[in-house]
Amino acid sequence: MSSPRSFSIKSLLARHETVLVLVILFEVILFQVLGRNFLTGGNVSNVFRHSVEIGLLAVAMTPVILTGGIDLSVGSMMGLCAVLFGMMVNGLGMNPWVAGLAAIACGGLGGGVNALLITRLNLPPLIVTLGTFSLFRGLAEALTKGAESYSGFPSSFLALGNSNIAGLPAQIWVFLVVATGIWFLVHRTTFGRSFRAIGYASEGSRYAGIPVNRNTSLAYILAGAVAGLAAVILVARLGEARANAGIGYELLAITAVVLGGVSIFGGSGTVVGTLLGWVALAFLNNGLTRISDYKIMDQTVASVARELSGLLTGLLLLSALAIGALTKALAVRRACVQSLSKSTTNPATP
Amino acid sequence: MTKYFRELTVAAALGLLMLSLAVFVPHFFQFQPFISRLTSQMPALVAAIGIALVIISRQIDISIGSQFSMCAIIAGLTAASGLPLGVAIVAAIAAGAAMGALNGVLVAYLGLPSIVVTLATMVTWQEALRLWQQGRLLNLPEGIQWFGLSQPAGQTVVISLAFLLLIGAAWAMRNLSVGRFVYATGTDAEAARLAGIDPKKTTFGVFVLMGGLAGLAAVLNLVQSPQVQPNCGDGLELKTIAAAVVGGVAISGGRGTLWGVLLGMLLLANVNPALTHFHQPPYWEKAIQGLVILLAVVADGLRSRKVKL
Repeated sequence: MSSPRSFSIKSLLARHETVLVLVILFEVILFQVLGRNFLTGGNVSNVFRHSVEIGLLAVAMTPVILTGGIDLSVGSMMGLCAVLFGMMVNGLGMNPWVAGLAAIACGGLGGGVNALLITRLNLPPLIVTLGTFSLFRGLAEALTKGAESYSGFPSSFLALGNSNIAGLPAQIWVFLVVATGIWFLVHRTTFGRSFRAIGYASEGSRYAGIPVNRNTSLAYILAGAVAGLAAVILVARLGEARANAGIGYELLAITAVVLGGVSIFGGSGTVVGTLLGWVALAFLNNGLTRISDYKIMDQTVASVARELSGLLTGLLLLSALAIGALTKALAVRRACVQSLSKSTTNPATP
Repeated sequence: MTKYFRELTVAAALGLLMLSLAVFVPHFFQFQPFISRLTSQMPALVAAIGIALVIISRQIDISIGSQFSMCAIIAGLTAASGLPLGVAIVAAIAAGAAMGALNGVLVAYLGLPSIVVTLATMVTWQEALRLWQQGRLLNLPEGIQWFGLSQPAGQTVVISLAFLLLIGAAWAMRNLSVGRFVYATGTDAEAARLAGIDPKKTTFGVFVLMGGLAGLAAVLNLVQSPQVQPNCGDGLELKTIAAAVVGGVAISGGRGTLWGVLLGMLLLANVNPALTHFHQPPYWEKAIQGLVILLAVVADGLRSRKVKL
């Protein structure tokens, strides 16, 4: 019939990432034409400065989703870590850098709680992290009595959030280190390779000798620790630590990961895809605030940019999911038809 | 007895909480404030019935808060445009069912995980509502509050509607074949299919019902005040999921009763008033809620582990 359908996972992913690059290019052109000052050095570095926290969460969420899990607690974890950080610096008078490391450790500890419940008690990640989503945020609110916030951090620390190093926002360098580290872990080590194996077939991985529980645990601990880091960076940027830090960030991170072509069922996806998904979201968020000449429902686009980008993000996620599911269903159907017509050869993935 | 172990445990905990309140803060049980508190919990109870069905069929719906807000605004606008209250109620339920149907199609027929689908629809409806209403309070015309009745009569209507629904749904889940379909689909969708049940249709139906119930819950909330807030459903998903899980609905599907959900709802709903009446700071509520969810799932996990051995 038609050309041989070798639906290798690699070619699919290559295609997905190409599509994302095209989406990003489309966004850039659109916002450059419709908006004001989108493609200026200042604005582009602004885009990245303001979305580093979500980028960090998304990159660290990737291994979790690759194992077939999910972590809804990272946004709340940011709130808790931000509050703990503020208390350590303001209340205990600790050096902010030491307190930052301690906040990252606290995040790792919180991730450990998730990991313990998920792997040792075999509970569904969704409900465990929904519980800790509420617990961590609740602890943050309780510690601050619902209203207190911490500020007055030394300027040497605030520089992490507001200064440039070698022409790029300071926090971008931290992000690049973390993202490269996680990319290396996931794509260049046997350990990281196991994330996808676990997500593809957890029981099969166990028979193959992979320590499934240990490796899955580490994915959650990593996600928690990176959430702690994101909290520290957010505090450095805003100059204030509050219990409401990172509300809703888990959703944005998951959206970036899913847009990036990581299967929500686990087993396939790349860190580069996540990064592209994140950039597409960040450009959408910022680009809409640049459009002040056009109106929607009697408001300029810029004035309702937050709601509009939220709405578009939701729709984008829905359509990415639906398209993913449809292509998968088509591929399965094709494979079935082929294996029926040519029962001697196996057309499945090589 | 052991079959309803969780329900009995929660009932005991609730009884203990009530008893200690009766002893230490007797004014907690003053008739009018007590009834008002109960009435204000009825919308969440109606939504919790829906979420329990969704969880029993081994799915989850975290978009119900957004659906609730959307339905409340739709009902409010319908009523404000001068149409009778009945039309507003139908509009809210229909809008809820339509939103539920979208979730249902994506989950049941495209096989997508419900958590991600409803996460996406949650943010979509929430932001669409913000864009549409810009956070404005909506004033309702006369004759909407308490269905145009006096406050005690209105409260009676709200409470009895919610309880009638609960009794009906609990009976249907136990005695009607559609109710058993939901349990069967949640226990093992493939086995249900082989037994001649259409698990896709069942899942789809459950999501549509969930949406409709969110619409009804929004109406029951709407009639309690002269205004509607466009964010009135915020946090409802967590509240109802917590009630269901605490009440013994297994998150792995196929197990749980609506009576347990009622008990879980009442237990959690009384945490905050109890904190206030015992002169404890109320900002611990969310942390306690999270802790209770985790305790409930850990208890489930330990229990199923024991069964395996």
